[in-house]
Amino acid sequence: MNQPTLFELAGFGPDGWGHALLAGAWMTILVALAGYAVGACIGTLGAWGKIAGNRFARATADAYTTVLRGIPDLLVIYLFYFGGSAIVTAIGKMFGAEGFLGFPGFLAGSLAVGVTSGAQFTEVLRGGFKAVHPGEIEAAVACGMPRWLRLRRIIAPLTLRHALPGLGNVWQVVLKESALVSITGVAELLRQAQVGAGSTGLPFDFYLIAGVIYLMISTLSGLVIQQAERHLSRGVRKR
Amino acid sequence: MDWQFLEETFVSLVAAIPLTIELAVTSICLGAILALLLALARLSGFTILDWFARLYVFVFRGTPLLVQIFLIYYGLGQFPVIRHSIFWPFLRDPYWCAVLALTLNTAAYASEIIRGGLLSVPHGQVEAARACGMHRLMMFRRIILPLAIRQALPGYGNEMISMVKATSLASIITLMEVTGVAAKIISETYRAIEVFVVSGAIYLAINFVLTRLIQFAEYRLSPHLRPPVPVMRDTAAAAAPIGDPQ
Amino acid sequence: MTATPIALSVRDMHKSFGPVEVLRGISLDALEGEVVSILGSSGSGKSTFLRCINLLETPDSGEVTVAGETIRMQRTARGAHRASDGRQVDRIRSQLGMVFQSFNLWSHKTVLENVIEAPVYVQGRSRAECIEEAEALLAKVGIADKRNFYPAHLSGGQQQRAAIARALAMHPKVMLFDEPTSALDPELVGEVLRVMRALAEEGRTMLVVTHEMGFARDVSSRVIFLHKGVVEEDGKPQDVFAGSRSERFRQFISQ
Repeated sequence: MNQPTLFELAGFGPDGWGHALLAGAWMTILVALAGYAVGACIGTLGAWGKIAGNRFARATADAYTTVLRGIPDLLVIYLFYFGGSAIVTAIGKMFGAEGFLGFPGFLAGSLAVGVTSGAQFTEVLRGGFKAVHPGEIEAAVACGMPRWLRLRRIIAPLTLRHALPGLGNVWQVVLKESALVSITGVAELLRQAQVGAGSTGLPFDFYLIAGVIYLMISTLSGLVIQQAERHLSRGVRKR
Repeated sequence: MDWQFLEETFVSLVAAIPLTIELAVTSICLGAILALLLALARLSGFTILDWFARLYVFVFRGTPLLVQIFLIYYGLGQFPVIRHSIFWPFLRDPYWCAVLALTLNTAAYASEIIRGGLLSVPHGQVEAARACGMHRLMMFRRIILPLAIRQALPGYGNEMISMVKATSLASIITLMEVTGVAAKIISETYRAIEVFVVSGAIYLAINFVLTRLIQFAEYRLSPHLRPPVPVMRDTAAAAAPIGDPQ
Repeated sequence: MTATPIALSVRDMHKSFGPVEVLRGISLDALEGEVVSILGSSGSGKSTFLRCINLLETPDSGEVTVAGETIRMQRTARGAHRASDGRQVDRIRSQLGMVFQSFNLWSHKTVLENVIEAPVYVQGRSRAECIEEAEALLAKVGIADKRNFYPAHLSGGQQQRAAIARALAMHPKVMLFDEPTSALDPELVGEVLRVMRALAEEGRTMLVVTHEMGFARDVSSRVIFLHKGVVEEDGKPQDVFAGSRSERFRQFISQ
């Protein structure tokens, strides 16, 4: 039996799965981006709740981060995927549809990743805000800057600058978490690798290639984040 | 509120807790040993060891744990040489594959935490040990490592909690730990929310206990950071140093 | 002859932090062009007093009037004192230029950007006009060549002078200085005091909380000594320093 080499498998030739794997990698990035965006929104709300919210907001945000810190991400994905399907099926029944209606895997996956990363976002943004020199905020108050202007021109930029390393970390975590979304059937990288492994009987090769691709995406992301950090810190270098 | 369903679910899930804890404890312990070796390799001063450790950490932190699990459980079976080796009974068993993958994964993260702890030991205290005539091994065992552990404990505690959560991935390769049982119940009954709440509560309870244990360990290991216990008056007088004007 | 208008007026200000009453009924009228030095030992309430004027801290009672406009206050349901009109407070704050002990320049903006920030975004003036004026102000305080530098790259004295330019850019009616030289290395204090002296000679209305006795004695037109939240001395520098009746004040300056 003439087994294709690793390179042939990853390539774009007749035996190559390159197209499928590339499509999978692209889907991985999309899922990760979607999850990151959802997490950023939730995290901003959560951080605001912990910093400036009333007692109820603070308690809610605290409960949210505590709970999601202790629960496996896989369970959250199951919740959104199966729970979402149950809700959609129930709604479908109300309108007379028959049988099982599946909740889209991409949506379930992104929401789940968003909800779990939101807890990390909350802590990172909160930490970033705490690192801002309170005097700089006071100076903005003393100039007569109204609240929204202060937030937009002073507080948000400074918080983001301090939070950037943490935000970069969260991206790396979200990227890896996107692999879990494969259980909902979304055709991201790991799922494509599974398909290829099943089809050719060469699981090691495929999972190895998948691993390498993840590594490449992760390294590239790291470089981009480093550049962003350097750009945002241009005023902070000590003499 | 279907209490009977919740009760049945709870009972099924509780039965799976031992497996979750076994997976977590085994991987954390084995992973800690490997992590210590990796940290020492990074700090050894030998370029080859340093670069090997760096590569290891880079690979295992840069790829998803699930990919690592699949590589070991599904991937290794591809090679006849492994299928015919003495390791095969272990490597085809989902439990040992999960332990292996979790161990290798946690070792990468933990090695960075331990390395940070080792680097944070104040140089002056190492010098004092050397000045006393301690040789390297004793210095490491009695001064450096204890101090490094105290420094690394909070970060390591976080890693341990991550490990407990990571055991849930073992369910994907058929292990019936808590998440595995939860997934089975959900796929049979589609009552995702109720099962999520019960299984979530179980994980929170496990992590709560773990956090308390870590806090207790931190407390016991840091008497030097707490205010001193006040001395009794008569013992203080009795212990007055020689030459002290009374 | 028309009387000099009152630039800033404070009536019976009280402020407590928990059980400690820090300001116990302070009243002050600052005329236009007056340079008022506020002296006192730590805990005397002088910084708190200044910060209550532009409502960085909210006084428990009392009235603040800037250029004839009184800040409207109200009592909340729980009896706390607070400003009733946030927009009025912002507007009045933009007429009071504050210089802080720790400079508080915005670290993500260059010196020039710091100076034009409030005039452009708070006062809505044209960017080009503000840049032109900012460059003139920076030249006036002596750091024109640092306009594109970030605050972290400047010395303490340069940062404080930039902060003064930032306050001046808003065309304030009154300038408030909260211990402007206390955080500076001794050799940098002089450059900041020189700028402040120039401002005083221009006829600006200034309230200066300071430990610099020389400035209080030689540059200010009026000296106020606070002790435990109450005004103990208030008068012209020569009168207060030479013929002070207060035992505590004589103790204070002899330290």
